[in-house]
Amino acid sequence: MTQSQENKLNRRDFMKTAIVSIGGLIGAAIGLPAVSYVVGPALKKNTDEWIRLGSVSKVELNTPTLFKTTIETQTGWINAEEEFSAYVLTTNGQDFNVMSNICTHLGCRVRWIPDQDGFFCPCHNGIFAKDGSVVSGPPPRPLDRFEVKVEDGVLFVKRG
Amino acid sequence: MLLKLVNWLDERFGWRSVWEAIFLRKIPHVNWLYTLGSATLFVAILQGITGILLTMYYVPTPDHAYDSVVYITTQLPAGWFIRGLHHWGASAMVVLTVAHLLRVFFYGAYKFPREATWITGVFLLVIVIGFGFTGYLLPWDQKAYWATTVGTRIVGVAPVIGDFILRVARGGDELSAVTLARFFGTHIWVLPAALATLVLVHLYLVIRIGISAVPAKEE
Repeated sequence: MTQSQENKLNRRDFMKTAIVSIGGLIGAAIGLPAVSYVVGPALKKNTDEWIRLGSVSKVELNTPTLFKTTIETQTGWINAEEEFSAYVLTTNGQDFNVMSNICTHLGCRVRWIPDQDGFFCPCHNGIFAKDGSVVSGPPPRPLDRFEVKVEDGVLFVKRG
Repeated sequence: MLLKLVNWLDERFGWRSVWEAIFLRKIPHVNWLYTLGSATLFVAILQGITGILLTMYYVPTPDHAYDSVVYITTQLPAGWFIRGLHHWGASAMVVLTVAHLLRVFFYGAYKFPREATWITGVFLLVIVIGFGFTGYLLPWDQKAYWATTVGTRIVGVAPVIGDFILRVARGGDELSAVTLARFFGTHIWVLPAALATLVLVHLYLVIRIGISAVPAKEE
């Protein structure tokens, strides 16, 4: 076999290489957009926004008070109103601790039971104290807290 | 090591003989027109992939169909691309299928022993047109709505049973949520199942019988 024949790509190998590379290009041209298309909405984060909860005068001293409000949301192609709730606790009427009512275990809604002085989660018996710390049950961490601001006697929290 | 694994698998699956039967079979000396069938198959697979991707977001109800299509096209990364491929691929399917059919017809390749291949091919053409007809309604815009109004009316002019078929196609007197849902179901379940089955039979016959040579001038 001469030198030139050894280095020459034969027809079969040329076709193999061509098919694999063109096939790979087509695969990438479909595959990469497909991945971003499927993953796209998951990368979209909620924008930080201040949510108006209500007047600070409604907050009872030393007992968590539930505030409910509706917020406009847009998910996919649907505009909807979503209910937003949070518990507000103040010990001095000046500093406000706004806690999420979402259990840190698996996301059920907790309720403040005044008689038993605790937040109870109905799903797996998680119990939180007045300040949101875990008393017993499976929750891994205290109730989430929101950033708070008060403007003209109105309470706002930041959802991030 | 890898070769050992491949051999171990081949002993059990027998892939190599399948590969050889499909890709290493003898073919006569032919021209580029003989690639039309493969081109149709390629676009069909592309339609399957992009179609599956579109169903991730598309919702077949009058309330949401149009908005979900707009969302796909304008909000999602590469959504315009996926939908665009499906849109243009649909036209390509019809063009390629008909071109493939004409090639087979004018080369006389439908004759013995390939009649069954031809017949499955004709049914495949009908399925492709069915895909086009049902898919056209799904964006639920003005063009889709009126095209389907007219298209189903055409069915209705058939004597005696025309009115009944019209009502079955629409799922009632008028175009409605029922029409959209049944067109969607037909488009993504009934037709793909029929297409896949017939394509398998069609390809089996092509491989079993082999393809015909370009006819000589004297024939």
